[in-house]
Amino acid sequence: MPPRRRSRTSEELLAQRIVKPKTNLGPGFWPITALIVVVSLIMSWFTWNAGWPVGLIPAGDPAPATDFLFKFLGVAAAWIFNIVTIYTIYFGIVFRQPKNAPASTIGVQIHDAPVLEFWWTAIPTILIIVLAIISVKIWADIQNTQGDVLTVEAIGYQFGFQFRYPKLAQPVSGTMHLPVNTPTTIHVTSRDVIHGFWIPEMRIKADMVPGLVNTLRVTPTVPGTYRIICTEFCGLGHGAMHSTVVVDTQQDFSKWFAQQGASTGGGGGGAIPLAQGKADVGKALFGQKCSACHSTGPFSQKIVGPGLGMIFNDPAHPKLVNGTAPTPQDVAKIVHDGYSGDIGVMPSAQMNGLSNADIGNLVAYLASLSKK
Amino acid sequence: MATIAPGVKTGPYHAVLDHIHPEPTSFIRKYIFSIDHKVIGIQYMITGGLFFLIAGMLAEVIRYTLLQPNGQMGISAATYNQVYSMHGSAMVWMVIIPLVTGAFGNFVMPLQIGARDVAFPWLNLLAFWMFPVAGIILFSSFLVGAPDAGWTEYPPISLQGPPGTTMWCIAIFLIGISSTLTGINFIVTIYKMRAPGMTLTRMPLFVWAQFATAGLSFIATTALAAALLALFCERVFGVPFYDPSRGGSPVLWQHMFWFYSHPAVYIMILPAFGIVSEVLPTFSRKPIFGYKMIAFSSVAIALLGFSVWAHHMFTSGMVPWLQLPFMIITMVIAIPTGVKIFSWMATLWGGSIRWTTPMLFATGFLITFTCGGLTGFFLAAVPADYHEHGTYFVVAHFHYVLYGGSVMGLFAGVYYWWPKMTGRMYNEAMGQWHFWITFIAFNCTFMPMHWLGLMGMPRRVPIYDPSPWYVFWNQFASISSFVLAGSMLLFAYNLWSSFRSGKIAGPNPWGARTLEWMISSPAPYYNFKKIPAVLATPYDFGNPLPYLGLEAAEGATEATPTHSSHPVPTY
Repeated sequence: MPPRRRSRTSEELLAQRIVKPKTNLGPGFWPITALIVVVSLIMSWFTWNAGWPVGLIPAGDPAPATDFLFKFLGVAAAWIFNIVTIYTIYFGIVFRQPKNAPASTIGVQIHDAPVLEFWWTAIPTILIIVLAIISVKIWADIQNTQGDVLTVEAIGYQFGFQFRYPKLAQPVSGTMHLPVNTPTTIHVTSRDVIHGFWIPEMRIKADMVPGLVNTLRVTPTVPGTYRIICTEFCGLGHGAMHSTVVVDTQQDFSKWFAQQGASTGGGGGGAIPLAQGKADVGKALFGQKCSACHSTGPFSQKIVGPGLGMIFNDPAHPKLVNGTAPTPQDVAKIVHDGYSGDIGVMPSAQMNGLSNADIGNLVAYLASLSKK
Repeated sequence: MATIAPGVKTGPYHAVLDHIHPEPTSFIRKYIFSIDHKVIGIQYMITGGLFFLIAGMLAEVIRYTLLQPNGQMGISAATYNQVYSMHGSAMVWMVIIPLVTGAFGNFVMPLQIGARDVAFPWLNLLAFWMFPVAGIILFSSFLVGAPDAGWTEYPPISLQGPPGTTMWCIAIFLIGISSTLTGINFIVTIYKMRAPGMTLTRMPLFVWAQFATAGLSFIATTALAAALLALFCERVFGVPFYDPSRGGSPVLWQHMFWFYSHPAVYIMILPAFGIVSEVLPTFSRKPIFGYKMIAFSSVAIALLGFSVWAHHMFTSGMVPWLQLPFMIITMVIAIPTGVKIFSWMATLWGGSIRWTTPMLFATGFLITFTCGGLTGFFLAAVPADYHEHGTYFVVAHFHYVLYGGSVMGLFAGVYYWWPKMTGRMYNEAMGQWHFWITFIAFNCTFMPMHWLGLMGMPRRVPIYDPSPWYVFWNQFASISSFVLAGSMLLFAYNLWSSFRSGKIAGPNPWGARTLEWMISSPAPYYNFKKIPAVLATPYDFGNPLPYLGLEAAEGATEATPTHSSHPVPTY
């Protein structure tokens, strides 16, 4: 028979942390708990019913699902934030050391509480499992969203967007048009550096990476005009790199599409009035439209593009960057069509908002510079 | 080997310090090229503080520019891009990482484990001197055109960047080596040089945090070094690693960069966790709640931190299914982090709390860091991240974890260990004012960025939507940030006047129980005349001090109370 163990003294029990010191939740613990519940319920109600956390209309198909996730996250965050903040402040006030307490005053000497610790590990774990399931479900829905009824390519460049539609020979610059309620696939890529393609109202975004095609699927549901915003830093014009997407009714979209097919040349069409070009008007235009990227120095004085001060008689560069001779017609053609080649990218006249008369004035100004 | 207490064996190194190497007397060997970890720690603090001043002023230039939506404040887009890129680079690599590891790790950690220095003092000297050199290279890039593609320097845009981008590569490479060397040094120091009896689970929690951090710096920084070397070679020699038009991959950079830079987030926050875990029990007069859970959760965060980097790249273009493991592991990190937060709250509960400045900052940290952690959920959930990526929501999130987390923790640490560094007390009233101004101005600066981002304001823009709503919240954030900067003047004046004429602190002004408070202030050369044996964790305020054979400084133990109801030691 094993020897009977003698009963342990309370000091020994304390030493082995079997006897816990008396717990004291403080005078207002339960009212404060009630306050946390009430405040969290109010915040949850607002999060669920107001257009919050994202204060934008859902204008396309993944948006309602994404908003559901936002609302779930918002409600969970409100509860956790209130629990942590309000209890912390409450403990800080209730358990503050009284003013005249002797230096030897100490708090309750408790090291842990396994049951409490189990619950505050288990409950967040369950919450995270639920959150992960919801996120994966919505993620899978987005991945499996039907697209492909219309396929559009969006191409980013410094600093704008171009869109290629099936059966259109020329890319569309500037505004993107999408027909309402049509499952659409958008392939995004870039011609130069990494850009972002974000339509906030549809909650879709993908990076436009040169050499890589990323895919977005969206079904626009609300006709209207929405923003397209570049979200990856892409250079000097990053802040201004945004455009619009117009969600049309099917009829309007067809009308617009037919127009695009008719005028495949972009720009305004018609001849460029080079002979009427005025150098002084061109100088003012150059300051507004060109000087962000071009200096009026020699070719080698680059900002983004080369210096244009000697474009018509530069012995170091007897030809233009596209290999043609520096005639007024060839310079006007580059300004009109834009340029994309091994030294960079320049937007077309249409992108830059230049009329044919403007081009004539600009060429006259550049010619006047080269004469000096 | 002798047994000095039940279960405590001494090693051959546990001896009275028979002969002390003479303390260097020349100014250069004492203050410039010192191998004393305390001096090096303070050198890190001064250098990091100066860089903090510069990087903080860059932040104010950013907010000044954004007072008006169309760039009317006179800062050109080119300058703005350089300014925000340098602000981010400097704050991460030249301020927070050197301060949390180099400054506090060096000054506090060897004292807390009862060591006389770090394991490799000369390596420590080398690691420190790489830091100002790297900082000078980085900031002098302004002379030739500073890097302008953000602190992430994504190619291909960074390949076109100004010449300073190459200097950026060199500077960050150097600070990376410095960080790696410090990591190795700390791992060996913590593993081999603890006082006898200080088992791993008796180490102060700040030491645990530094241990986890050192592992991260040691392993992760190599990936950054490789990425930087490749970027350098591409910029200087034209080796096509990243340029897609020549067969390179821009996404390769992102993977290698974030393989370092996500763990770097934990390099920046874990030591702040450690500081808070020291401050809370000291001023609550209570053992830290759940010691082992806090210690092990640091290690869990460090380990998990290696497998979440691609959550920065959900929109970059990768195999779609790969997003799921990265999302789920990211969410799992919230569990050890939540355990820490609840344990800190439970440390407050039932305490006898003294509301000193470090305690205010530690509690403020608890609230702001929780807020930053919760927005982390929003970013981890992939479908929500599709909306938030690259917007001001991200800016708000990481300022809540870096300023509301790391920097608040740093403030707590500076006020807490200031008496040990200088031997003098700071002005308590001024410190508390500093806290309240910082706390309010910080929240007013960064809280509006959440909704600015969700409504459609992208990051890294010098101009934005001129509608009144955007202008109002940007101006609100800007003006708050000026107040936040102003509060730094109060901080600087407080430290300066304390250094000049502060009250003499004595060895242990807080009644704290970790080893650094057992010796005189400022800590003497060689720290411990006699290395003590350690019998328990340091946090049992109800028990006698758990140190044997310690020749404590006069008055060091007086402030540590014993409580009549808990007479039995727990060791």
